Amino acid sequence: MRYLAYILAVLAGTALSFESAIYGQLGETIGELETSFYNFFMGTLIMGLLWLFFGKGKLSYTMEAPKWSLLGGILGVVYLTAIVISVPFVGVGITMVTVIIGQLIMSMVIEHFGWLGIQQTKINKEKVFAVISMIIALILIN
Amino acid sequence: MDILMILFTLLAGITLSAQSSVHGTFSRKAGTIETTFLTMLTGLVFLTIIIIFFGQGNVLRILSAPVWQLSAAFLGTAFLLLSVIAVPRIGVIATNVAVISGQLSISMIIDHFGWFDSLVIPLDWKRLVALLFMIIAIYFIYRGNKRSNMETNS
Repeated sequence: MRYLAYILAVLAGTALSFESAIYGQLGETIGELETSFYNFFMGTLIMGLLWLFFGKGKLSYTMEAPKWSLLGGILGVVYLTAIVISVPFVGVGITMVTVIIGQLIMSMVIEHFGWLGIQQTKINKEKVFAVISMIIALILIN
Repeated sequence: MDILMILFTLLAGITLSAQSSVHGTFSRKAGTIETTFLTMLTGLVFLTIIIIFFGQGNVLRILSAPVWQLSAAFLGTAFLLLSVIAVPRIGVIATNVAVISGQLSISMIIDHFGWFDSLVIPLDWKRLVALLFMIIAIYFIYRGNKRSNMETNS
């Protein structure tokens, strides 16, 4: 079951990559902000349908949940907008590398301290090695 | 100015990993589909406001855009859904490393064949070595996670 979660996460990455290649094209015709608007618009429709037919959870939990845990959508918009603004200044290559490094370091910090309701797991040397390997890979690609 | 921009982009990476953590926490109580739906909905509301004030493009041109370009919305949704499934099971670091590896590998393939009108950048030995390092990274994360699980259980 755990293997499956790793495979799903890799698949998520491949979807993201195809998505950004295609949205790059769409952004040129309708504009960048409009493209992300379209993404969230269609996403809401698709997930709305999936929820109607397959939703087994509890959407009403939204009202009881701590307010900070509702910030997922806003964080996504901050991310997207930051990318759109920075690409013209420093280029796609540096933008992606910087985003990924920020993402990796922050993941380590969040897990280490158990922030944002994530189960606390201490940083160990394997995880540090993994992040170093990722940074080497990034340098080699660019 | 460039340094400022790079710090700004670093912030983008930080929000992305904060997002996956928030998702992981929320989905344990509310369910996977519900979490993804809520994220899409709140994102939509925010973007609507942003578009009204700052939008310079034309949303209506969606109607005349080629269908293959529009199909990317399914991929965007799949990404969010799959990452919401993965975080509670394998943790934030493992999910992010696996997502990034998948993303970079497919980007290299897209570059190599020049799909979607992108620049053609051939897969050379440097990129192959990079691929190897990503596989090593996932392996280390897997082992690191297994070890911290054993320590919490004992």
